[in-house]
Amino acid sequence: MKSLSKKVKKALIIGLDGVPYSLLQHYLKRGLLPNLKKILGEGFSLFQMNASIPDVSSVSWSSFVTGVNPGEHGIYGFTDLIPNSYSLCFPNAEDREAPPFWEILGRTNRKVSTLSQKYEKKIDRPLCSIIFNVPHTYPAYPIQGILVSGFVAIDLKKATYPESAYSYLNSINYMIDVEAERARKDKKEFMSHLFGCFEIRKKAIYHFFENENWDLFFACVTETDRLHHFFFDASMDENHPYHQDFQNFYVLLDQWIKSLYEAFQKRYSEKGFFMILSDHGFSTVKREVYINRFLEEEGLLKLKKEGDFYERVDGQTKAFNLDPCRIYIHDQSYPRGSVRWEEKPDLLMEIKKRLMKLKGENGEGVIDQIYEKEEIYHGPYLGRAPDLVCLPKDGYDLKGSLEKSEVFGPNLFAGMHTWHDAFCILPEDIRLSGKLSIEAPTDFIMKYFSQ
Amino acid sequence: MDHLTRLENKSIYIIREAYYRFKNIAMLWSVGKDSTTLLWLCRKAFFGKIPFPIIHIDTSYKFPEMYRFRDERVKEWNLKLIIGQNEEKLAEGMRPGRGSKLDCCNELKTNALKKVIKKYGLKAILLGIRRDEHGIRAKERYFSPRDSQFKWDYENQPAELWDQYQSMVEEEEHFRIHPILHFTELDVWNYVKREGLPIVPLYFSKNGKRFRSIGCVPCCSPIDSNAQTIDEIIEEIRTTKTSERSGRAQDKENIYTMQKLRALGYM
Repeated sequence: MKSLSKKVKKALIIGLDGVPYSLLQHYLKRGLLPNLKKILGEGFSLFQMNASIPDVSSVSWSSFVTGVNPGEHGIYGFTDLIPNSYSLCFPNAEDREAPPFWEILGRTNRKVSTLSQKYEKKIDRPLCSIIFNVPHTYPAYPIQGILVSGFVAIDLKKATYPESAYSYLNSINYMIDVEAERARKDKKEFMSHLFGCFEIRKKAIYHFFENENWDLFFACVTETDRLHHFFFDASMDENHPYHQDFQNFYVLLDQWIKSLYEAFQKRYSEKGFFMILSDHGFSTVKREVYINRFLEEEGLLKLKKEGDFYERVDGQTKAFNLDPCRIYIHDQSYPRGSVRWEEKPDLLMEIKKRLMKLKGENGEGVIDQIYEKEEIYHGPYLGRAPDLVCLPKDGYDLKGSLEKSEVFGPNLFAGMHTWHDAFCILPEDIRLSGKLSIEAPTDFIMKYFSQ
Repeated sequence: MDHLTRLENKSIYIIREAYYRFKNIAMLWSVGKDSTTLLWLCRKAFFGKIPFPIIHIDTSYKFPEMYRFRDERVKEWNLKLIIGQNEEKLAEGMRPGRGSKLDCCNELKTNALKKVIKKYGLKAILLGIRRDEHGIRAKERYFSPRDSQFKWDYENQPAELWDQYQSMVEEEEHFRIHPILHFTELDVWNYVKREGLPIVPLYFSKNGKRFRSIGCVPCCSPIDSNAQTIDEIIEEIRTTKTSERSGRAQDKENIYTMQKLRALGYM
């Protein structure tokens, strides 16, 4: 009878891709987000949070959903090289080595992690989750509940579990993602496309929220990230032609958060677990910085003319970079690698020294922090990690392109990701020691369901 | 009615319906087994005389066997052939192995086709893609046709806008129609066998290797196989666990991922 008397628990998590803490604060102060302000007054706190390193969505969301660092979940970017080769590959959910929290809650996890080991005995029945549009969850694995993968999901059928979810989404002409390609051609049209995508996303979210049974509901909005990539310069600048549109998007977002929050309270009268978070922040861009070109000019990278992407890496190469700034030493684990193990520490030191000297506008430094992998990652998949990872100063957008003839280039995008300025809204009774990091709040969800 | 006849009837219905709805239509023929099957079905649909042109996008890097096969069929079946090429990019030296394969495919295939569509003002293209071929080719509709008068609901098999993955369909839009979407790889081979269809010899084993999927020479690698006849190929496919396009360098899903990432400033 114990299980019957146990209190039913429900959680609602909202993910807002790329929404910066500082922008939220600014808009809250200006009264643009009255509903969020009201919610914050009802027992929630807004925190600034650090994203993953690197601060790209695939890594950050993987860290949040698994509650562990990349050394344990094995995802370091949207791209990677196939081990012992120069072939580019695109890691997806199949390559994630730690289970996401919904698999632990639903007792369907096929992999184990420190988080799953901590909680698997404390969940007394399989819990049902609806996971909607979370980046880097493709292809969709069978779960206890419903899963609709987010970016980069390609085939809607492979992006949905179960089949009935696919049928519904197909029937409403659901779109996995905005078509960012359109922004190049016509900004005005792209702006309305963003609003259109947000509408269809909301429609689908409501559908699953209202019509399905669940213990945990987690939905992400990715339009915010796309809005920022192409229009972040409009966020604060009142004279910007898209300023009003930009703000209007946030007004709609605020209203949507309210309606979902109220529906959650209505559906579940007891106090459930509610949180909102982003996976990284955003800033405007001064310059793009092509790290591979820098390595070439420093004589550390030599590219052959022939070949696809990193197949061009020549035998004389000492180091190369993958997006955004993951530097790999071309050691003897690569087919043409020549750097010996004993040479590595000095080489790392040398690259760090030279990168720190890289100067942008007005002689200011470009790189804010450089880490060796052992400093920031730990776990069984440390071996997959880049040897060095850089975080830039805000405004310097580090890139992995192999095709550039200058180190600096004009900004093709209005916004770039920032590491230090993600946000998290949590129940105010949660006490934090120090600044949150994105893999940390997962534990609060697990704790809530296991108490 | 047996399985293959059912598949055939469905395809012929779609081909005729498409021709009825779009007079300015053409078929895309890669010379591979699927689009050759489609070509055969088009001939059957119009009793041997196809009333629209057949487009071959020639990257100039196809296998010699493919060119020979193409020219023989054009003569034998009296086809109106349009050869599409991106001459400017070829003149600039675009070729597999120089720069990224993504750019090469994009220029020599996609953009070459776009040019043909524009030049001939085509409103619809028939394509020989199959649902089981690859995840990305499973039925997925991002857009509804713009013309509200257009209704197409043949057994849940909608016509789709061409180029659904880069919706930058310039100026004129065109529909893509997939009359053999419901065929599997095995169905195609069984159909080839039943109809006695000629097929590019690259599909048959030579020195222990054969091509399971063909395209440009530098981007295709043969699989280990001793299948020298259609029956042996059918037996091999029945028992294989590897994917059909595993010998192809550019995986469709990867191309799409690259495009998505590039649009956001990665790579």
